[in-house]
Amino acid sequence: MSSDILLATITSPVVLFFVLGLGAALARSDMSIPESFAKGIALYLMIAIGLKGGVEMSKSGLNLQIGAVMIAAIGLSFCLPLLAFTLLRRMTGLDRVNAAATAAHYGSISIVTFVAATEAIRLTGVSSSGYLVAVAAIMESPAIISALFLAGSAARSSGHIAGSERGELVREVALNASVVTLLGSLVIGWITGVEGFARVEPFFVTPFQGVLCVFLLDMGLAAGRGLRRGWRDLERGTLAFGIIMPLLSASIAASIALILRLPAGDAALFMTLAASASYIAVPAAMRLALPKAKPSIYLTLSLGITFPFNLTLGIPLYLFVAKLIGT
Amino acid sequence: METRRRLELIVERMAQSRAGNILKDAGIKGYTVLDAVAGYADGLDWQSDADISLAQDMVVIIAIGDNATIDRALQNLHQLLDAHIGVLSVSDVQIMRPERF
Repeated sequence: MSSDILLATITSPVVLFFVLGLGAALARSDMSIPESFAKGIALYLMIAIGLKGGVEMSKSGLNLQIGAVMIAAIGLSFCLPLLAFTLLRRMTGLDRVNAAATAAHYGSISIVTFVAATEAIRLTGVSSSGYLVAVAAIMESPAIISALFLAGSAARSSGHIAGSERGELVREVALNASVVTLLGSLVIGWITGVEGFARVEPFFVTPFQGVLCVFLLDMGLAAGRGLRRGWRDLERGTLAFGIIMPLLSASIAASIALILRLPAGDAALFMTLAASASYIAVPAAMRLALPKAKPSIYLTLSLGITFPFNLTLGIPLYLFVAKLIGT
Repeated sequence: METRRRLELIVERMAQSRAGNILKDAGIKGYTVLDAVAGYADGLDWQSDADISLAQDMVVIIAIGDNATIDRALQNLHQLLDAHIGVLSVSDVQIMRPERF
């Protein structure tokens, strides 16, 4: 891996603020970001990335390659949980329900990892396409369906849960806030184009990096608290899975990027999406669909192990590989 | 003042809507939901801002009703707590304006 890319990534303000938050939480500092402020920042970041993606799409339009990437992304999101589930059952002592719930997180994506990768790629002078925001949004949910299939009889044996409503899971899967915000902003960016975006650009472009730093500080705090709270539920095999799985997912995505002849920036982002693990949309869906699975396992793993790995070492590695295979 | 029963359910946020449906179906005329900020259970401290998914957050649901209504709700709440994390308690309370419960 190029040491320049690695150094640029791990010394970026975004990563350093994440490390600050992680260290503060592990050291039991009382540092905290107000919950509603953090939610507002998350919304801002998703709107900004959606708008920018939509504007880029309005310039380039749609073509066969974009369609092929979208189909590959949906297929990947459906299939990665099968690989994760098999690995978890072989490498760890997790039961079927916990393995299925954890696998769902690794088929879905982390939008913050995607945003961090977008910025890291931009800073190294490599360009990427806006439509990958749409790819990110459509990769949020298919893994949840795969997880329910994988949990199989173990999930069905818990039967109907009192108070459940018809369609509540479908609503959570298809209309969760991150999917609606991302796709909605993407469409707005597409409709409004460069001219319309220019009117909101000072709000969504200039402060973006600074806001991302504050959000990553909060993510560091959340990851540290999650690790402190959940590390007892993670055995060595489970911890190793948190590093091995993103590397396998990124390798599969790299093969697809090679077949589809994606440019280096797009290939790096596609690999990052495949390698990232959800910690917003999927945990909420799993609490509804598989409430007997332990959040301390899947959240600690995705937020406390895989997210920091991708942020510090994963992204530079994916970018390095993407530069080798990209057109 | 009259006596009614007060039901207090501490339950994970994702089950809030299910708990609310159970209370409504049982005939409860109203309930209130409060955020649970932090706590301690199974040898571990927890706090509400540990993750941004809110999947591990807890809420407190408070409802007051007559014996028959609370008993109807308890049957299904017991089943809800087989699946979801939570603590349920019921106590007698003195209330004004009994027609509202």
